[in-house]
Amino acid sequence: MDLIAHLRYFIAVAEELHFGRAAARLHMSQPPLSQRIQRLERHFGLRLFDRSARAVNLTGAGQLLLVEARDLVARAAVLDELAGQLRSEGINVLRAGLPPDVPGTTVAALAAEFAARQPAVTLRLQESAPAVQHRALVEQRLDAAVLRLPFDTARLALGPVVQRPLGVLIAGNDPLAGHPELLLSVLAPLALVIFRRSTAPAVFDEILDTCARHGYRPSTVHEVSSTEFGRGLVMAGGAVAFDDGALAPPAGAVWRPVTGQPLAARLATVWPRGRDNPAVHAFAETATVVLQREAGMSVVGPVRPGTALRARPTSEFLPWGAP
Amino acid sequence: MTPGQPVLARIRATFDAAGVSGWLHAVDIDRASEVELRADEPVVLASVFKVPLVVAFFRAAEDGRLDPRAPVTVPLAERSGGPTGIAAMLDPVTISLRDLAYLALTVSDNAAADVLADHVGLDNVAETLDALGLHRTRVPLLTRDVAALTREDLDEQRGLVTDPAAVSRLRVLDPLTSNRSTARDCTRLLALIWRDEAAGPASCGAIRRLLSLQVWPHRLASGFPFDDVSVAGKTGTLPTIRNEIGVVEYPDGGRYAVAVFTRSTSTALNLPRADAAIGLAARLAVEHLREQSSD
Repeated sequence: MDLIAHLRYFIAVAEELHFGRAAARLHMSQPPLSQRIQRLERHFGLRLFDRSARAVNLTGAGQLLLVEARDLVARAAVLDELAGQLRSEGINVLRAGLPPDVPGTTVAALAAEFAARQPAVTLRLQESAPAVQHRALVEQRLDAAVLRLPFDTARLALGPVVQRPLGVLIAGNDPLAGHPELLLSVLAPLALVIFRRSTAPAVFDEILDTCARHGYRPSTVHEVSSTEFGRGLVMAGGAVAFDDGALAPPAGAVWRPVTGQPLAARLATVWPRGRDNPAVHAFAETATVVLQREAGMSVVGPVRPGTALRARPTSEFLPWGAP
Repeated sequence: MTPGQPVLARIRATFDAAGVSGWLHAVDIDRASEVELRADEPVVLASVFKVPLVVAFFRAAEDGRLDPRAPVTVPLAERSGGPTGIAAMLDPVTISLRDLAYLALTVSDNAAADVLADHVGLDNVAETLDALGLHRTRVPLLTRDVAALTREDLDEQRGLVTDPAAVSRLRVLDPLTSNRSTARDCTRLLALIWRDEAAGPASCGAIRRLLSLQVWPHRLASGFPFDDVSVAGKTGTLPTIRNEIGVVEYPDGGRYAVAVFTRSTSTALNLPRADAAIGLAARLAVEHLREQSSD
């Protein structure tokens, strides 16, 4: 018996709770589907479904097995995909992701340096939205990536973290552009141009919360999907955008640092937990070196100096007990 | 299955807006209707494990294996740490076993829970879980074990608890090693307590009283701003993990068991949005169950 195939039949019936609909979804007729479910029940020595004239329901055992069945079928898909890749490209391929806004010079330097370190490994770089890249890592369709923090680290392992303080892009003819650096609070009359919250909610909230804490509560927040469009809004005047200053500001706009550096873009090298190998480590090291040299980022120690944690009793759990 | 779709979309949107991944199961205790979101996936219990611990304690007391009024002394040495209850006190404490259960459930007192567990035994907790059909719930760790594992994974550096790389290494956040359950198992446990089936009626009444005396207002209870609606529950918290399971009772007799588990993207210790999302998601689920029962 092909267990994975039979588990697929089981999952379809469990999701539809109707043999006819499940059969239609599987592009087969109902009798062979019923037979296969019965075969699976014999294989386990357990009934998976309660079948009455009017309804099909999962048994308790069926409910418990469904969870594991989904897991196994998902793992089988990863296995097939990996095997397909090995067939077409051989074993020495590293699938790696970069954030979409990394400057081209950084991408080129990373590719060249990785090739020098690991000449036998083909680096397949791709850029995509953070949420898409995160899912690909968790599902092991990517071997490594550089992702903007914070993100959910479940099932992932992190290498070095680099950061660059964020400054402000502002129209060159705005009176504030005359200052060498800007406090967040002086931006109060200006609108904020920022990436769409849905693409990275935690990063978005961190930025807006920090702005509010430092006295900048923009009355208008333009969420944009294109960096270029966002730059256009800044050039048009009356709005600012946060930017790490890696690229030259567009004509008609200037870049100014923020006093005290309350905001920073933090990037982590990351890979699926337990799936590291020399190529993954080489990618993480190369990315860290290149982001420092080409994009002006610096490695951050794990603990930021001067920020004492003030846990509240609602935290319930504190690693060293109460302070 | 499909009628639940709009409510699920709203619950998902609530979790997304708060920057958390969420797992939820809600069930009408007196009817079959339910709302489920990833309800069978394994989740980390954190301090929610104190509920099955206290259920096991009351069952042991019923069998005469423990005297719930027996005083025990909790010395200062080796006391499990935490910000509430005996865990935060400065002197030796003498207290009855059942009042340890009170502190463990109402203020999530780690020291009280560990001493109670030393008397009950984790093997008895496992036996209780099996007897109640909670096969996907396992409690292999006390709070002192969780603390020890965490210290080890953080290389003894407390400040690392909000560092994303360090958090990614925490074994206590992995449902395969930590105290674990599913949202569905948790509502089953609550329904058994509310139907007097988790133990004898007197014990179940005592457990319901303890859960209704929980002090925290920020999660499940925050979703139900009504003076005539009661919320009894137990929270659970670890870095990035915020949970609460509980029962919501309306004056018309409607009673609903809800289990909400979340994991935040941000590693910040204080995330009021994530706490509130637990209440909002629970309210969406409960209101959906109430609409169904009025059809």
